[in-house]
Amino acid sequence: MAASGEPAARAVGLCKAYGSGDTAVLALDRVDVEIDAGRFTAIMGPSGSGKSTLMHCLAGLDKPTGGEVYVGDTELSRLGDKALTRLRRDRIGFVFQAFNLLPTLTAEENITLPGDIAGRRTDADWLRQVVETLNLGDRLRHRPHELSGGQQQRVAVARALAARPQLIFADEPTGNLDSRSGAEVLGFLRRSVDELGQTVVMVTHDPNAASFADLVLFLADGRIVDRLEGPTADAVLERMRRFDVRGGSQVAQPAPDAD
Amino acid sequence: MLKATLRSFLAHKGRLALSMLAVVLSVAFVAETLMFTDTIGSTFDRLFRSTSADVSVTAHNDVAGRNDQNFSGTVPTVPASLIPQVAHLPGVAAVNGRVSMAGIVLTDANNKSIGAIGGAPTIGINWSPGPNSPVDLTSGAAPTGDGQVVVDSDTVSKHHLVLGQPLRVIGATGGFPVRLTGIATFNTTNPGATLVFLDTGTAQRKLLGHEGVFTSVDLTAARGVTNEQLRDRVAPVVGSAYDVKTAEQTAKDAAQTLGAFLSVIKDALLGFAGIAVLVGVSLILNTFSMLVAQRTRELGLMRALGASREQVNRSVLVEAALLGLIGSTLGLLLGVGLALGLIKLIARGGMVLKGSQLAVHWPTIVAAYAVGVIVTTVSAYLPARRASRISPMAALREADTPGRGAPLRIRAVVGLVVLAVAAGLLVGAATDKDLGQAGILLGGGVLLSLIGLIIIGPLLATPVIKLVGGWFPRVFGPVGTLSQRNALRNPRRTSATASALMIGLALVASLSVVGSSMAASFDAQIDKTIGADLIVQNSTGLPFPNEVGDTVAATPGVGLVVRGQGTRGALVAADGTQQKTVVVGTSPGLDKMVRIEMRDGTVATGTAPGRALIGSHYADAHGLHLGSPVTILFQSGKSGTLTVGGIDVTDTNPGGLGDEPVIASSTLRQYVPGALDDIVFVNVAPGANKEQVKSALTTALAKDPQVQVRDQTDYKKLVRGQIDLLLNLVYGLLALAIIIAILGVVNTLALSVIERTREIGLLRAIGLARSQLRQMVRLEAVVIALFGAVLGLGLGLGWGLAAQRLLAAKGLQSLAVPWSTIIAVVVGAAVVGLLAALGPALRASRLDVLDAIAHE
Repeated sequence: MAASGEPAARAVGLCKAYGSGDTAVLALDRVDVEIDAGRFTAIMGPSGSGKSTLMHCLAGLDKPTGGEVYVGDTELSRLGDKALTRLRRDRIGFVFQAFNLLPTLTAEENITLPGDIAGRRTDADWLRQVVETLNLGDRLRHRPHELSGGQQQRVAVARALAARPQLIFADEPTGNLDSRSGAEVLGFLRRSVDELGQTVVMVTHDPNAASFADLVLFLADGRIVDRLEGPTADAVLERMRRFDVRGGSQVAQPAPDAD
Repeated sequence: MLKATLRSFLAHKGRLALSMLAVVLSVAFVAETLMFTDTIGSTFDRLFRSTSADVSVTAHNDVAGRNDQNFSGTVPTVPASLIPQVAHLPGVAAVNGRVSMAGIVLTDANNKSIGAIGGAPTIGINWSPGPNSPVDLTSGAAPTGDGQVVVDSDTVSKHHLVLGQPLRVIGATGGFPVRLTGIATFNTTNPGATLVFLDTGTAQRKLLGHEGVFTSVDLTAARGVTNEQLRDRVAPVVGSAYDVKTAEQTAKDAAQTLGAFLSVIKDALLGFAGIAVLVGVSLILNTFSMLVAQRTRELGLMRALGASREQVNRSVLVEAALLGLIGSTLGLLLGVGLALGLIKLIARGGMVLKGSQLAVHWPTIVAAYAVGVIVTTVSAYLPARRASRISPMAALREADTPGRGAPLRIRAVVGLVVLAVAAGLLVGAATDKDLGQAGILLGGGVLLSLIGLIIIGPLLATPVIKLVGGWFPRVFGPVGTLSQRNALRNPRRTSATASALMIGLALVASLSVVGSSMAASFDAQIDKTIGADLIVQNSTGLPFPNEVGDTVAATPGVGLVVRGQGTRGALVAADGTQQKTVVVGTSPGLDKMVRIEMRDGTVATGTAPGRALIGSHYADAHGLHLGSPVTILFQSGKSGTLTVGGIDVTDTNPGGLGDEPVIASSTLRQYVPGALDDIVFVNVAPGANKEQVKSALTTALAKDPQVQVRDQTDYKKLVRGQIDLLLNLVYGLLALAIIIAILGVVNTLALSVIERTREIGLLRAIGLARSQLRQMVRLEAVVIALFGAVLGLGLGLGWGLAAQRLLAAKGLQSLAVPWSTIIAVVVGAAVVGLLAALGPALRASRLDVLDAIAHE
């Protein structure tokens, strides 16, 4: 689980176009990227920069129109729906911005759902460790509507961790939370990388959230335009401002808010 | 606001389509029923008008009832001598003596019956076309002499008869060979009777047994003379021994007899239409509830923008009225199609109606629109009121919490109270001695228990679904868990969806209980009462020529033969009051064939010549005992005083002896000379093989195809077959309600899939395969359907049990639960669920993962 030389995922010449012919819009333009295993990577960029599309392509939720995507050694573009579903189920964990949990299932059932779908028994010791780490011990029998927003996102993180996936993708996981709960959830993601050896990729537009990551990739106009190792919130904000100043030449105007 | 309503109507047209279909089907069934029965009515009206003479004279007979030719014996006749008395009266243009006998048999040369089918009569008529004859001779020649017949063109073409073909006619006096000499064609629609025309002398001799008599004398009025005037001139001449009627009266009398039968059909069909409407209501109510719930935000926005409560309320109602209006129009059109289809279908069963004469009366149209529009608007009212009560802020807030709705406590109390009352009524119905009152209690109990169960349904959803779907998680894993939880998520919705199915299945279950109890009771009754080895009887119960009995007696291997006759008559009390009854004649030995429970005397002493065997009920009521005189008025009009020779225990069971007097055949024939056998009991001779005797009898009776030889097993099979036929007919009619219920399940699932789009996206993202997703939707449908089935079966078994107890006094003494039907219903419900889930499941599995996650 610890960091190694092999990337957890990578994209080579990744293109994604919407529409066709003259009206085609290029959301990703020949992106090459490697996601290092055992690290916390943040993808930032203004609205419409393609950061969500990049995540969706890396996670097997969306089909690229060109290039190659690898999760481990598996090339995704040749996989059919069934194989992609299995890949997501067995090797990838998700945390979405909102509506992460099934309202009819308890917190615990939500956490073990991917394993249950696959017909695998979730390792009880591991589950206990995850639940303890995320401080959910007394919430396991609750239904989602009995949990606060922060608790719901923690359950979502626990679900992503429970199956020990190769990769966890988090799409604006704190977008709907107040700053305290948001910091808590981000802290847990951070700990899952440090203590549990997880690989996490997070899409965000919030410099504060990005500062929890090991590496920040900046996306604009469908290309990776910059990277920042060991970011602080200020450094990220500074980079973002530079885009603003340079705006127009290479980078589109960043939108003030989320997609 | 109206514009917004119309927009919203169009925007939701997909979601409304299934509700619309429910309206269309309900309305179509109502309209079809009305059009169909109206068409039968108008066809027969035309027929009766065309076949009724301007004025007709028939014998007056209180006992026999006019035109009742279903019982054997002397048919009321008019002597030919009457004709000259009326022929010279002023205003008479023509006089015709008419012989018309129903219940004859026409066979081909191989003794195969060429009769009407499906209960329509075969009528023997003398060929004597008057000026307004309803038939014309369209080919060949009129019949002359004993060996010639003219047959109606419908029968000729149905059986591919050709002129000159040898046929056989079997009348009261027996069978005789004839040759087809001509074909007669109706100038109106003949709904299915087979008409056999003989020359007048032959008809009198062979059908009535005497020359010089007619069944009626028909008069035609001269120009300028009304039927009423003519009647008033004829009546005093013929005297009070005859009935004189105008064509209008004759047609009305005939229509009345038919009308009673028609209104039974109409009521039954409308009953099923009502059930379909009821199921439709629950579907529409449910759909509008779901639509309003889904549009909470939209309606909240309208309220926030300043629309008043009334406006929101009205917008939903106008939407419903539009739906009802379009649905009714389509339903009416579909109804025409269904009625035409039904007309085609029953033509194959023997009743010929013409699609071009389909009767579409304005009450049908009014009823169609009333049902469609009112039902839809009323069904939408509750959801509309709920919609208008939504506070704008609550509506605009995102509400993701499942299982919304007020607590179910009030519902529980009301539902339990209604169910308790219903149970009381059903128990009352089961134990009440007064049949009429018990029937009312049963009806009330059925209705209230249905309402109670619908009210309490949401509370039962959780326990029942945990029961019937409890094994899902173990067998289907997380998909099973999810589907079970989804079904439980909104108990109101699940219960409303299932209740539509519940109604149909409750009826199926209760009727199947009553049906199989009937068969079981009849079996027990046969075992208990019938001792004869074999019984020869006409399948319609009509009498047959006495030569049949002679043939039976002459067949080798036959031992004791007992011949029975049923005639009309009345028991006359000392004070002169008459109790109409059937007077049964029997040859000696009845006690060897039928077990009759005697109170006083024996069957043999009761049926000795000059004696009568009467029921204990009548004997007690009139203080009669052995040796008392008892006066019987016979259908011939003669009355006789006999001596009570035996008193049996009055038995109210079907097939049991009631208060009908049983007398010796020889005595009966003194009063009713022409009495015909309608049943022949046979015991095989000692040492003879029953099966061999049976087949020997069947061969010997081949020339009389109207009678069948049956043993007890055959009788049981026959009755079972008739009950099964009736049940299948009823199940067929209930199928419509079940189809609407399936639409309800489809609708609920489709709307649920839309509501849960984001969940589906999430499930797909975290690795639920498409096939698993489809299975999830399917299992949810199955569990809803099973819920409906469990409730329906419980309800239906309760109804069936109460009905059986109620009818126990009427002979339904054995309770039989048709387990095969019950199992079939459960399996069928699961299949219904699977079918209903096909579309929604496919739709759910085809959702694009990313779109679904981003769905609002």
